[in-house]
Amino acid sequence: MRIRSRTGLMLALAVVALSQAPRAGAQATTSSAAPSASPPVGAMAPDFTLPGATRYGLLKAPVHLSDYRGQTVVLAFFYQARTKG
Amino acid sequence: MEAYRDQYATLFHNGRHVAVIGISADADTTLANWARESDFPIVFTSDIGSVVGKLYGAFDTKNNVDNRSLFVVAPDGHITYETPAFKVLAPAAYADLAHAIDQVTPAAAPSASGN
Repeated sequence: MRIRSRTGLMLALAVVALSQAPRAGAQATTSSAAPSASPPVGAMAPDFTLPGATRYGLLKAPVHLSDYRGQTVVLAFFYQARTKG
Repeated sequence: MEAYRDQYATLFHNGRHVAVIGISADADTTLANWARESDFPIVFTSDIGSVVGKLYGAFDTKNNVDNRSLFVVAPDGHITYETPAFKVLAPAAYADLAHAIDQVTPAAAPSASGN
């Protein structure tokens, strides 16, 4: 009986740990997560890696800002999908 | 984003030497559906947790969303223009943005023959 309840406890802990794990591919692979001032004009744009999508669907490979070197890039942050503007 | 789509040819040269990356905390599937339904010609990225938003100072801690911050990154990777709250309804804002893009995009400069 004691062994069975200990096994149950371990299973419950495993379920909690899995449920709190971040979804794979949903996080940027950047080192800083703290709010900060924006990088100034003249600075190198901080690189990032994020899952991407276009009108044709999800991108198979994540988007790396550094992959766009050689092109002008416009980074447009916005509140939320389906907001006007 | 509708304004970017509708001015894609004039502002962003139809994507020739210019890439537009929209960034929000939405799920990638939400962004893909929205892009398909609205026929947006740009790339969207899913910044869940606003990690990149915070890195660029775009995250609004009070409202827990990204502001409409906008950055122009030159082909060499340097930031040449930024605005913390792009005014989507102000025509002057688009004129400034177009100027900033054209300044760092050589292909956007008019040729000597005027073509």
